[in-house]
Amino acid sequence: MIGAISRSVLRRGWRAALRRERRRATGGMDMDALVTAEDLRKRFPRKRVGQRRWWPWARRENGRGGNGTGASGAAGDEWIVAVDGVSFEVQRGEIFGLLGPNGAGKSTTIRMLSTLLEPSAGTAVICGHDVRWEPMQARARLGVVLAGDRSLYWKLSGRENLEFFATLYHVPAHEVPHRVNWALERMGLADRADELVERYSTGMKQRLSLARALLADPPVLLLDEPTLGLDPQSARNLRELILELKREGRAILLTTHYMEEADFLCDRVAIIDHGTIIAMDSPGALKRRLPHERVYRLELRETNGALRLTDLVPGAAVVEERRDEATGTLHLALTLAEPEQDLAALWTGLAHSGASVVNYSVQEPTLEDVFISLTGRALRD
Amino acid sequence: MGAFRWWDYGRAVLAVFKKEWLMQLRYPAELVGAVIWPVLFPAVYIFSARALAGPDGEAVAVFASRTGTADYVGYILFGTMLWMILNITLWDLGGHLRREQVRGTLEACWTTPASRVGMLMGASLTQVSTSVAFLLVAALVLRVVYGFELRGSIGPLLLLMVLSILPVIGLGLAFASLVVVLKEINSLVFLVRGIFMVFAGMTYPVEVLPGWMQAVSRFLPLTYSIRAMRAVGLSGAGWAEVRGDALALMAFSVVLLVAGWLAFRGVERMAQQAGTLAHY
Repeated sequence: MIGAISRSVLRRGWRAALRRERRRATGGMDMDALVTAEDLRKRFPRKRVGQRRWWPWARRENGRGGNGTGASGAAGDEWIVAVDGVSFEVQRGEIFGLLGPNGAGKSTTIRMLSTLLEPSAGTAVICGHDVRWEPMQARARLGVVLAGDRSLYWKLSGRENLEFFATLYHVPAHEVPHRVNWALERMGLADRADELVERYSTGMKQRLSLARALLADPPVLLLDEPTLGLDPQSARNLRELILELKREGRAILLTTHYMEEADFLCDRVAIIDHGTIIAMDSPGALKRRLPHERVYRLELRETNGALRLTDLVPGAAVVEERRDEATGTLHLALTLAEPEQDLAALWTGLAHSGASVVNYSVQEPTLEDVFISLTGRALRD
Repeated sequence: MGAFRWWDYGRAVLAVFKKEWLMQLRYPAELVGAVIWPVLFPAVYIFSARALAGPDGEAVAVFASRTGTADYVGYILFGTMLWMILNITLWDLGGHLRREQVRGTLEACWTTPASRVGMLMGASLTQVSTSVAFLLVAALVLRVVYGFELRGSIGPLLLLMVLSILPVIGLGLAFASLVVVLKEINSLVFLVRGIFMVFAGMTYPVEVLPGWMQAVSRFLPLTYSIRAMRAVGLSGAGWAEVRGDALALMAFSVVLLVAGWLAFRGVERMAQQAGTLAHY
């Protein structure tokens, strides 16, 4: 047993070394892939109230331990698996989206890529630099926007914030004023640059965060929920800016739980759930995988309360069913195997059942439908 | 790009230094407090001593026989000033990482290629400059308010001050790291500064302490700082007389700075493994 584990560890070690050598030999990167995640895993010790340890260093991440939620590790530790074997690449000039519900592992993946978290296993490489072994080199090629608007100094002005971070990003001293002005102009903040950040709106703070990420002119951008909390207009403006950055040839990895955003922005999307990528392709290709392209949405007021739609229309499949207690209506989302025949059967069946149709719409497939078809749940669940 | 460069390291230190000062200036009430406090704090002890000395200062002779100086005001001022520097360091440098963590800016700083130790060094530099500014203001005000006069020479005093600040910075670095783990600074500061206040002889010679307390005081760098600076500043002692204390302070500096650096590295690694940077 111990021998098998040792062999596995050795094999993994050699593989990582070989990969590093290969990257060195190819000038630091594999073709145009600026971000590579390979079998990336992260698990955290489960914390329970009253079980706080006063010697946290005693709990070693890479010590004995199980592989899954609830597995026991050293001294009875339990672990939560946040990311479980995620692999992907982001090419130059590509927007790659990690789409999934809250807690799916999106932010944990971004945090590992940005060196804030150490992977439990697997490798993550930024422009040929392994985040574990060459973290500073990896960070020098990254611009990171983390979720929320708290990552800026509110008691400094926008310009002071950028000047500070430009130095941390090793922008040469003589270039700092020019680079800061450029970033402020680009994000439309030049006229408010000398005001304290505490007076900025959420959208302005988010643009300032993006300006900060651009200071070092990085080839890779990691954007964690970039439009979270923004009003629709600000979100639209920010999405346009992200598209511009993509056109400049940057590799952009963004996380979102807004499917429309992923659909609009991303060249490729990885749908992530419970720490695992369950589908990865372009948004169009993902939607084409659905067995039925259109979703028929009905809002019904039943008369007898026992409507069985699948009896009325054998080719119908219910993908969502929700009862609105306030209005007393039933919301249904259906797919139809043979739309023309099934629709006729549907209307006839409804007329005979005595249910009245309050609302009816036909919806083109979305990434949400892809998620539902893959997991049986909605993204917001 | 990528290789460690001292120039970038130094710029990161100075950037944090500048940022910290800018932010301090945005809270002017705190600066006013920093000027007033050095005057108010020693007053409690000075007036208590005046009361205990008797109407004509009869007890001062007894005090002089135990301490080697009759200048009890200067005696108290040296102790309280050095203790206050320790106190400021524990609050400011000790709480630096925690404040960044609570503010939400720690992760943003740590995603840059700048040295994380360098950034903490920048906070230490701010701390040193604050301490120096505090001392200058205090010396000026104390001269006017309490008529305090320095007897020793400035050179050894400055050297002793540097040797006194270094271990305190080491302690602050270790403290900063510990606070990130424990996520609570108040009780820890109260405990540590209380220990130093009692055991280091802030307003009295450590010789009046019981034997076991004197033994504890030997493990506190502040004990040596206070004793040496009093000897030079009040009695005009030369370098040879305080050499032992200076060597002890050097040893404390090395041990505590290394301990502080190791504690920071440990916390950095722990945060990367456990993902606790964003927790507050």
